[in-house]
Amino acid sequence: MKKLKETFKHNNSGQLLIVAALAIAVLISSTTTYVYELSKETSGTNDSTINESILAIRQSTKNVMISSLANVSNGGTRTLLTENLNTFLHTLRNTHQLGICNLEFTTFNDSGYDEGTRLSWDTTSPATSSAYANFTLQAYGENSRIITKFAINVTTAVAVSGFYITLAGGEKNVSLTCNLKNEGEPALVKNLTVFYNDAGNWTQAGTANGLSVADYGNGTYTVSFRVVVADPVQVSVQILDLRNIFVRANMTCYAG
Amino acid sequence: MNRANKGQIRIVEAFLAVLIVFSSFTLSANLTVSQNKPQREDLAIDGLNTLTKLDADGSLSNYITNRNWTSLQEAVNLALPTGASFNLTVFDEEMRQVNTAVISNGGFSNQRIYSVEYVCASRDMMFHSYIIHLDLAVAS
Repeated sequence: MKKLKETFKHNNSGQLLIVAALAIAVLISSTTTYVYELSKETSGTNDSTINESILAIRQSTKNVMISSLANVSNGGTRTLLTENLNTFLHTLRNTHQLGICNLEFTTFNDSGYDEGTRLSWDTTSPATSSAYANFTLQAYGENSRIITKFAINVTTAVAVSGFYITLAGGEKNVSLTCNLKNEGEPALVKNLTVFYNDAGNWTQAGTANGLSVADYGNGTYTVSFRVVVADPVQVSVQILDLRNIFVRANMTCYAG
Repeated sequence: MNRANKGQIRIVEAFLAVLIVFSSFTLSANLTVSQNKPQREDLAIDGLNTLTKLDADGSLSNYITNRNWTSLQEAVNLALPTGASFNLTVFDEEMRQVNTAVISNGGFSNQRIYSVEYVCASRDMMFHSYIIHLDLAVAS
């Protein structure tokens, strides 16, 4: 009986080897496939495309806000922001980047905002030109559905401080410091103009007044000029930033 | 089966066993390699990133508004990863083609082409929006 068992064992050892090899092969293949599928799931490449597209749309909506605020602050109508956003939505509907994409917006109409824009120039410090709108973006991709809400606020603000020193002959040397910011970050000026009140007439300060402007490259500008006007000196600083957004700050300078 | 053939059968069986294990390794290696090939999403993300980067300071819309197609072609070529071929077309709000010149860094051959679309809004006081259609391929 023992001999028969041994004979059987000897005759089948080759088949057992193949079966064992087959089992090892299946084990290796299934482990590799499992790891591959797992890495494919966790990489989330499809979601990355949608996320990048959402970032791109956010950036474009900010550009719409900048364009609209530049126009409104330079004398355009307040309804322009809504009109431009509607034009943008019309264009967005012609793309098929995200499958089905729906963007809705609401312009802010509170805290001094009218149709999503606010121009606080003469009475507040810092003087600001601002646009504000809330957005809801719904994106339906092949495998995912994303709803995201975001707000875009575009603000150009300038803070002006200054004083004057009376020179010999009654002439006054006015010194101003202007700090320009875009969304709270230091920004550069494209054009800076200074006016002073001369007996009720606003007159532009120029070379005749010895006007000099120093740019510190960090949003800070110092301005000095000489005038012969009654005390105190009223000045108006008008700035166009690099985005063509206009802002105006009025202030009264006293003897320093 | 006589005793003389038994040794040969053992060799054949051992050879088969080695073949099976080796083939599983080959299969697994191919699976890993195919994962490293460029994905559609990788190129799409590169394309979108390029256009988003160029649009961050408004230069993308400036090129289009000023009809400066050569500068646009150079800027896209510089911003895209090395080895990427592209062909760019600009449309207006009504889907009419705006670019009058070909904006490309060379023709596509028989590579697989991937497309991305980007809505570009101008920062000018006179607002315009454009659809940028970017075809991409990995140079072989």
